[in-house]
Amino acid sequence: MPSLLFVVFALQLSLHLINTLGVDTINQLLWILYNKLPTPTSSAAQKAQVLKREVLRLKREMGAVSAQDDFARWAKLRRQHDKALGDYEKIDGSTKAQQTKFFAAISTIRWVATSGTRLGLQFWYSKQPMFWLPEGWVPGYVEWVLSFPRAPKGSVSINIWDIACASMIALVSEAISAAYVLITKKPVPKAEPVAMPADLQQGKKEL
Amino acid sequence: MSNAVVLDDDVMEPTLQSILDQKTLRWIFVGGKGGVGKTTTSCSLAIQLSKHRKSVLLISTDPAHNLSDAFNQKFGKDARLVDGFDNLSAMEIDPNGSIEDLLANGPEGTDEAMAGLGGMGNMMQDLAFSIPGVDEAMSFAEVLKQVKSLSYDVVIFDTAPTGHTLRFLQFPTVMEKALAKISQLSKQFGPMLNGLLGANLPAGQDINSLTQKMEELRETIAEVNTQFKNPDMTTFVCVCIAEFLSLYETERMIQELNSYEIDTHSIVVNQLLFPKMDNPCVQCNARRKMQKKYLDQIEELYDEFNVVRMPLLVEEVRGKDKLENFSKMLVEPFVPPPET
Repeated sequence: MPSLLFVVFALQLSLHLINTLGVDTINQLLWILYNKLPTPTSSAAQKAQVLKREVLRLKREMGAVSAQDDFARWAKLRRQHDKALGDYEKIDGSTKAQQTKFFAAISTIRWVATSGTRLGLQFWYSKQPMFWLPEGWVPGYVEWVLSFPRAPKGSVSINIWDIACASMIALVSEAISAAYVLITKKPVPKAEPVAMPADLQQGKKEL
Repeated sequence: MSNAVVLDDDVMEPTLQSILDQKTLRWIFVGGKGGVGKTTTSCSLAIQLSKHRKSVLLISTDPAHNLSDAFNQKFGKDARLVDGFDNLSAMEIDPNGSIEDLLANGPEGTDEAMAGLGGMGNMMQDLAFSIPGVDEAMSFAEVLKQVKSLSYDVVIFDTAPTGHTLRFLQFPTVMEKALAKISQLSKQFGPMLNGLLGANLPAGQDINSLTQKMEELRETIAEVNTQFKNPDMTTFVCVCIAEFLSLYETERMIQELNSYEIDTHSIVVNQLLFPKMDNPCVQCNARRKMQKKYLDQIEELYDEFNVVRMPLLVEEVRGKDKLENFSKMLVEPFVPPPET
């Protein structure tokens, strides 16, 4: 069992990462991975992909053929296109339903694994000290705050440790993103003064 | 039947003979874009059919009625014999008018029942007629009811150029479901409504009669659907001219008909130019070239259709004799003069 201090920190870090990456992105990524595995939906999803490519190909081909000059070929392409599109929409509709179910399941699992665990730990270990502060480091009322709500006085409670981890992660991530912007930022050309007719400038001054 | 064998192992023949031979056909639709000769074609087809059937009825559902012009004879809402024929009748109906008529002076006091129900009746009515395509379906149902009592062998519909005449066939299940829901609702709440509106209702009428009407409507529409989707009973004749837009619309129409599961296997190409050899008319020759291009395309695309080529005549096809002459070309392919 790794140290509780580290577990709490890791939980906060994963929460932060999930929030920055975005729930939707992660869901989509997992859905793609899920369909790569031999799951019941993978064949339908693959078929939908193939059909989508087929529809695009036919659309491009249709664009290349002049309807006026080569109507028969164009119309045949169009029939194929309409058929492929119909098939795709049918498959896509059924996959969408399964996708929604999958997303719901993933969301539940994610909540249990992160926020749920966090709340559970906070409840379970609320009376345990995370670590002890050297005596006399901070005044008594600060000690009381640090041990809030139920840890013994003079120690740091799990809740406070949790908050500390969250703030640190937020600060560091902000620092990293700011540094990244600073390094990659291109100098913005400065707005050059525009020559203006004298009477206009005069008018400005009067205002 | 020997004909069918020939059809199977060779190219489809360029006539409408197959329609004449298919004795089980009861409904024939003639449709296409405006101005391509739908009315002329349907009149010609009717004339040819009258030679092979006991009785033929030609119905125009086009609001711009052209049957009267084609036959030089006034037709109305009731079937009337065409002059010079003893088994060919014609009638002109307005698909939008007939629904209003139906509501205004419907049989068995539909309107009274509606009025008696006050706001409720109107609401039900609005609900029922807000379903897409229900008005067309209703007018068709009404026509079919009329036609059934008259017992014609075959009925030809000269449809409106909008191409949405058969739109209602797209929504059969939706419509049936909606109507079923409405009738179920009124069945459930009927007693309550009767209690509430009891005082307002005229004697002997209640919400149940309305429900019954809905149920009847639903059944009629379902019947129309099954009849029109049966290839033994119904077919659609596409009329077009050898031009891009007309061809485009025809292709779309054929795909649409396929999606409605309506049988179609004949195309009539009208207004073809066959200029004589060393003809000095530059426009005619240029047009002929263009038409030839699209004719080739039609042949390539619709190899499972009877493609009938009809020439552009130098006179208007009006009146019985001219129509009869024209109609012969639906059966015996027109032989164009030799070209350069």
